[in-house]
Amino acid sequence: MSDTMVRMGELAASKAAGASLVTLGLGSCIGLVLLDRRVGVAGLAHIVLPDSTGHDEVNPLKFADRAVPELLRRVVALGARKPLVEAVLVGGASMFAGIGGSMEVGARNEAAVLAALGGLRVRVNAAATGGSRGRTVRVDPGRGIVLVREAGGKDRQLHPPVAPAA
Amino acid sequence: MDHRVSTLYNDLQLDALRELANIGAGNASTALSGMLGRPVDLTVPHARVIPMSEAVEALGAPEAEVTGIALGVHGDMPSTVLMLLSPVDAETLCALLGLEPGSEYAESALGEIGNVVGTSYLNALAGMTGIALEPTPPATATDMLGSLVQAVLATRAALSDEALLLDSCMTVEGEGCSIIFLLAPDHGGAGQLLGRLGVS
Repeated sequence: MSDTMVRMGELAASKAAGASLVTLGLGSCIGLVLLDRRVGVAGLAHIVLPDSTGHDEVNPLKFADRAVPELLRRVVALGARKPLVEAVLVGGASMFAGIGGSMEVGARNEAAVLAALGGLRVRVNAAATGGSRGRTVRVDPGRGIVLVREAGGKDRQLHPPVAPAA
Repeated sequence: MDHRVSTLYNDLQLDALRELANIGAGNASTALSGMLGRPVDLTVPHARVIPMSEAVEALGAPEAEVTGIALGVHGDMPSTVLMLLSPVDAETLCALLGLEPGSEYAESALGEIGNVVGTSYLNALAGMTGIALEPTPPATATDMLGSLVQAVLATRAALSDEALLLDSCMTVEGEGCSIIFLLAPDHGGAGQLLGRLGVS
């Protein structure tokens, strides 16, 4: 089965086993995963900016305050049970330190996503955020596994937690 | 790709932007050539308006590892200049400047190349249009293409779902090493530029 690419300002939800939702090369953007592992439903939003206030003319789903509730609505529509929905955050890095803008955008995106999740009473179970490296995120709805990769690296399971090697 | 119907700019305006990019990049490649002591070839630039979601793929594979040199631009046209090259080409450029690749000087040398090339480009634009453009010091990063491009575009994403990209490719003759040069203005800023040319 082919993967679904979730690009800047897009979101997708699925319960198709084996067909992952993927965002390649997140920088300051946040890849937000919402999933209910027991029913095999997951969603992924590629959030670009924190706040939609005053920006009614453009795609609302690029903003944290609009994308988070919409993503929750979409996974619940596919059968996820709201009290059991888990959140995983990836991205929010500062790719170019010191040229202004991009640094704060990453941190502000993360704060806005956390605030929106808090308002909806969704708990955050794992995060790979901040720092200065880009990340790829991959979620398999059927298996409920979230993988993260940095440039030149290998996929690492971010959620559910894996026992550390002895 | 250049012929995509844009709601933001008409053909005449895109032609004018392309011509500005051509002159800016010409100036920049001359500066690069002087710095390296080698001839530098230049492709005809694109001026394109692309949906934000497709902008990364328009420039390359999202997970390709690239070195990016970024300059912020303040003044009448807030924008970002981003130069992208493969890590191998970055090493070649450092070697042409007589520097050990991977040494602590290599990154600052790349920043300096970015500075000279970017400033030359901006000076040509400023000279032609009379607008004020002040570049910030360069920042360098090697990472996934998608992460670098997306971080640059994100800061401009609030006002539009489309990205205006002026891009050119410079190739150092005999070394097969090339730099993609990208100017991403915000939309009000490009309007300024077009206004000065009388095609707003």
